[in-house]
Amino acid sequence: MSWLLWRQHRLQGAVAAGVLAALGILLWVTGVSMAHTYSTAMSVCRANNTCGELNLFQGDGALVALVNFTVLVPVLVGVFWGATIVGRELDAGTNQLVWTQSVTRRSWLRSKILLLLVSSTAVGAILSGLVTWWSGTLNSYHHERFEGLKFDIQGAVPVAYTLFAAALGLAAGVLWRRTLPAIATTAAGFFVVRLVVENFARPHFLHTITSTGAIGAGPNAPLGSWLLSTTVVLNGDVVQGAIKLPVSCAGAATRAGASKCLADLGYSEVSTYHPPSQYWTFQLTEAAIFLGLTAILTLVAVVALKRQDA
Amino acid sequence: MTAAVQVAGLGKRYGKKWALQDATFDLPAGRVCGLVGANGAGKTTLLRMLAGLSKPTAGSAIVEGRVPGDEVDFLSEVGYLAQEVPLYVRWTAEDHLRMGAALNPGWDDKGARDRLESLGIPFDQRVGTLSGGQRAQVALAIALSKKPSVLLLDEPVAALDPLARRDFLSTLTEAVADTDLTVILSTHLVSDLERVCDHLVVLDAAHTMLAEGVDEVMATHRLLTAARRDIRDLERDHTVLRVEQTPRQVSVWVKLEGPVHDPLWQVSELGLEDIVLAYLDRGRRAAGRATLQEVTA
Repeated sequence: MSWLLWRQHRLQGAVAAGVLAALGILLWVTGVSMAHTYSTAMSVCRANNTCGELNLFQGDGALVALVNFTVLVPVLVGVFWGATIVGRELDAGTNQLVWTQSVTRRSWLRSKILLLLVSSTAVGAILSGLVTWWSGTLNSYHHERFEGLKFDIQGAVPVAYTLFAAALGLAAGVLWRRTLPAIATTAAGFFVVRLVVENFARPHFLHTITSTGAIGAGPNAPLGSWLLSTTVVLNGDVVQGAIKLPVSCAGAATRAGASKCLADLGYSEVSTYHPPSQYWTFQLTEAAIFLGLTAILTLVAVVALKRQDA
Repeated sequence: MTAAVQVAGLGKRYGKKWALQDATFDLPAGRVCGLVGANGAGKTTLLRMLAGLSKPTAGSAIVEGRVPGDEVDFLSEVGYLAQEVPLYVRWTAEDHLRMGAALNPGWDDKGARDRLESLGIPFDQRVGTLSGGQRAQVALAIALSKKPSVLLLDEPVAALDPLARRDFLSTLTEAVADTDLTVILSTHLVSDLERVCDHLVVLDAAHTMLAEGVDEVMATHRLLTAARRDIRDLERDHTVLRVEQTPRQVSVWVKLEGPVHDPLWQVSELGLEDIVLAYLDRGRRAAGRATLQEVTA
């Protein structure tokens, strides 16, 4: 069995290893350099007390975009590995060749699934490890790892996403028995589930914290929070749209003066957020959801293949 | 003489349609059996169930004393070659032989290599670039080299040119010659049967119509001709397969159940192809009648 798996999937493995190695080298080199730039700049600015004026990494937009694109790696694993590992055999009829050798269908499927899940875990873990390590500098600088895309490419969730995509591809391949529809289903299904969880479930993993702060002072939330909304409130009522500056405040010479004037009139700003201390609870909750889906989809694939005729 | 394959009331239904119904026959070990039937008679369905790739809806099949299924003991007894000759098109023949060696404890590597070498099939070329005949030979080599007791071949020669077909069948004949391998070979090319088979199963959508050794088949089937006359006596004593009447003469294809008493019948031997065609023709007419009855009912 191991020879068969090696012969069938060595090319896919080599491609993945090559891509990860290239990405690893790139992130290592740039990550070390960014960390150095950051620590130098910080020690200089601390000495001069000018850290509020730091303006680092402005030229690294392409690199940041590349790292953000790793959010698509799980779906690639689902499409190229998950949907094909069994689906392509059923499509080409080669399952009939393998299933009439002296190896049971059960143990064949078990080996295939094991290979898929182990290698998907490895890809997800290596990728997430690289990106998380690389993002360390930007995390300390921007404090954004809890927000949207940054949350999706660091920590535990990339591993869970990758496993989910692989299992989705596996199940789609078994149910369709044809490669192309399986690939399409995997890609579409992955994006739908990811978007639904991210937009409708994730904000509700824990209760949000609401805090009221002075208007114009920025969100009243700890650094590194996941800020869900900030609204302007006048005496308890939410103010929709832009605030018309009252005549009495029109005389304020500065922005700070205008804010002070508005605050005196009863305006305030309400922030809704999840605090940074909840980061790992959110990571692990989201990962658990996708690992649960992985288990269900794998089971669906096993049962469906057992019930199908070859 | 023990039966290598026993099939009793075997049927397979897809949705509402029966792909095979009530197939019943025993196949003695060591025979090379031709499985004949019109397109859609259920030959592929039958072979897939015997290979354990598909589960029966009704009835039972026993192959080498085992119910076909997902068990190593069964799988190692059975070789199967599917109609579309599935191989990994990007792999070489060498890769396929290594797969065979990796997946089959009783693998005969030398036999496989000798066979392909004698046919001049390149080991290092992707099988997707080989000719249809060469691919079929590679697939046959795999099926033979796992050393099964029963070999199931689903129309392996149907898509091949006459030369490749001859080569394939002679490889098969040689491989079977000095073994007690049991073979079931489905085909709609009746001429191939005479070359390789010593047993015959004729299948029709409804059921098995004939399952006997070729020698018995040849000995018991006759064409009777006479001046135009009543055939009711014949129908009582024998199995009439087909009747052709002209204004002056009547020809009857029969399976004899005993001697023909009436000396007016002129008895002549039938070729295997004529016999098979008579059965297939009868099956088709029976199916036609059945359809007609359904329509009127």
